[in-house]
Amino acid sequence: MRRALGAVLAAAVVAGVLLFVQRPGPVDAQGGGTVEVTVTYNGAPVVEKLKVNKDTEKCGTEAVIEKVVVGSNKGLANAVVSVPSAKGAPRMAKVTVDQHGCKFVPHVTAMMPGELDLKNSDDILHNIHTYSTANPSINKAQPKFKKLMMEKFEKPEIIKLTCDVHSWMLGWVAVLPTPFFAVTDAGGAAKIESVPAGKQTVEVWHETLGKQTKEVDVKAGQVAKVSFEMKK
Amino acid sequence: MRPDSTGLGRPHRAARTLFASACLVAVALLAVASPAGAQQGDAQAGKAVYEKKCALCHGEKGDGKGPAADLLDPRPRDFTTGIYKIRTTLNKAPTDRDLFDVITRGMPGTFMPAWDILPEKDRWNLVADLKTFAPDKFKETPKKQELPKEVASSPESIKRGKEMYEAIECNKCHGAEGRADGPSRAELKDEWGHPIRPANLTKRWNFRGGGGRAEIAMRLATGVLGTPMPSFVDSVEKPEDLWHLANYIASLGPEAPNYATLLSAQAAKGDIPNDPDAEFWRRIAPQNIPLVGQVTIDPRNFNPSIDMVVLRAAWNDKEIAFHVVWDDPTQSAVDAARKALPDAVSLQFPRKVAEGAERPYFLMGGDADAVYLLRWETGKGATEATANGPTRITPLAGSEATGTAVYANGQYRLVLKRPLASKGPDRPTFQPAVFLPIAFQAWDGGAGETGTKMSLTSWYYLRLEEPQSNRRFVVPPVVAILTLAAMLLVVRVANKRA
Repeated sequence: MRRALGAVLAAAVVAGVLLFVQRPGPVDAQGGGTVEVTVTYNGAPVVEKLKVNKDTEKCGTEAVIEKVVVGSNKGLANAVVSVPSAKGAPRMAKVTVDQHGCKFVPHVTAMMPGELDLKNSDDILHNIHTYSTANPSINKAQPKFKKLMMEKFEKPEIIKLTCDVHSWMLGWVAVLPTPFFAVTDAGGAAKIESVPAGKQTVEVWHETLGKQTKEVDVKAGQVAKVSFEMKK
Repeated sequence: MRPDSTGLGRPHRAARTLFASACLVAVALLAVASPAGAQQGDAQAGKAVYEKKCALCHGEKGDGKGPAADLLDPRPRDFTTGIYKIRTTLNKAPTDRDLFDVITRGMPGTFMPAWDILPEKDRWNLVADLKTFAPDKFKETPKKQELPKEVASSPESIKRGKEMYEAIECNKCHGAEGRADGPSRAELKDEWGHPIRPANLTKRWNFRGGGGRAEIAMRLATGVLGTPMPSFVDSVEKPEDLWHLANYIASLGPEAPNYATLLSAQAAKGDIPNDPDAEFWRRIAPQNIPLVGQVTIDPRNFNPSIDMVVLRAAWNDKEIAFHVVWDDPTQSAVDAARKALPDAVSLQFPRKVAEGAERPYFLMGGDADAVYLLRWETGKGATEATANGPTRITPLAGSEATGTAVYANGQYRLVLKRPLASKGPDRPTFQPAVFLPIAFQAWDGGAGETGTKMSLTSWYYLRLEEPQSNRRFVVPPVVAILTLAAMLLVVRVANKRA
């Protein structure tokens, strides 16, 4: 009896903690709606391959640079969708980019202005070289013993991440002025929750296919669907 | 109040002292406000100087696209981005002093000359003008990056620096021994997408921001913005490792190349070894010779890969041997299928020696005055040829030249040999105690150098030193002893008289 009570209590605590920790981003008091975005691309995937001449035990012998990833039903992966003008409480979750297998993982990261954790789980030298205009561009070495670095990006813009040691490494960090954003999955789908009700502009950005915007009417407690077809 | 020597202690004395201290404090505060004697320049006046002295390369708009820009590699700086390589600040705009120092000292190893010939005022005015090309970047006052407490160079510090060099993998670009031959070399690009070469750490006289230990430590701390060289200030194990690294890098090569003017070949008693790494060669003093790109005949070589050869030479009664060392970051594989260009070096002499002061045209001879070439290249080894210019080279049959080369960590070491006596009219005979004209050419196949795309020297003189007799070990000591004896005698006589 006591044991069962203990278990229930523990479960409740765990559930509470999980609820607290995993609560997705913005707490929406007014009760917003959900925006489901589908991004498609009619063209072929763009994949570049490069022979690797160093660190092959970590990077493999062939580097694959996936510039346009197209999944099932022409879904376009790695596109950032957001509602740029919608205001909300900032997301608290920590954003991390890992340098793993001589790749930036994830390839595209979206965040609000703030801190970004940069992990190096490769046990070799990488350098974080950013290309940006609003934020100061940085070029910092991250040797094998430096497992974690923190960088601050204070202004919204899209920042390119590169590594000069491994020139094929490419990543993107979208620093957005809003907490309402998501990155499309392998099927080209993304879901933005708790978007304030009303007429909203949804924006999609892709590293090689550019930007598009669409108006959408968001109703509290309902799902608004919007689809984009990206062109070359 | 302290008792003073006058003993008067006038009442307004204290007030005067107070005033004087106030002045001192004010002066001190002013000094803090303008660190390291930086001056406020006048951008308007700077513009006038800029248009005269800078615009040809850096462009009227400061975008690095002046009329001469396309001929220059590395390209001139684009000031509109506010990205400057040499800074004492982290990630952001340089300080006024940083800009002033670059203008004053130039950028070694590039086309940017030192402008210390301009009055100091003009240089400060230029600093003010440069900042107007990227006003947003200079809004905030730059924060100077402080270095950890200096660590003097010592064998322990250099050892620790080497450990760090390996731990933070400087070798990825700069190579295991610092000769810019790392595996990432070919991939490197600057922020404008132009290919860029890592620095050869054994030649710190070419370091863009200076080759002193403090300057190296600062480059490690702040990186070289706009290039692949990252900042290491938070990426070493302990802060003082920056100094250990700087001490190690400074230990890789001399501060200055101390180029030779007259070249000499030493007389050898016995056989001369073919092995370039033999102890024999280490006992001969190196003679550094600068090479420049060939820019007279198309296709020209504006950014040559090989900028120096190191010569040691020896001769005996049968043969002459040239020990030539040069840095080449890419070893050209001998592979006809891949059409790789060979790496090569060539020593040039007149075909005949001692015909007065006249010498053939330095650029591999002319129509009427051919030169003799003693060459070595990957795949072929040693050959002999005559040339009437860089595009008219005639191999000589029956070559007796031999070459043994070693390539390791971005460096060729070669022993090129030939009999002393000439065979026919196309080859010079090497004679002792004669000033023999000599010139050098080199090609880095990996950098696409072939034909007229080479680095070269003008004529130098080589002298085969005659064997030194043992008298030099006898005569000076005898003279010294006699002098000492005479001095003692004088002292003794003087003492007696006193």
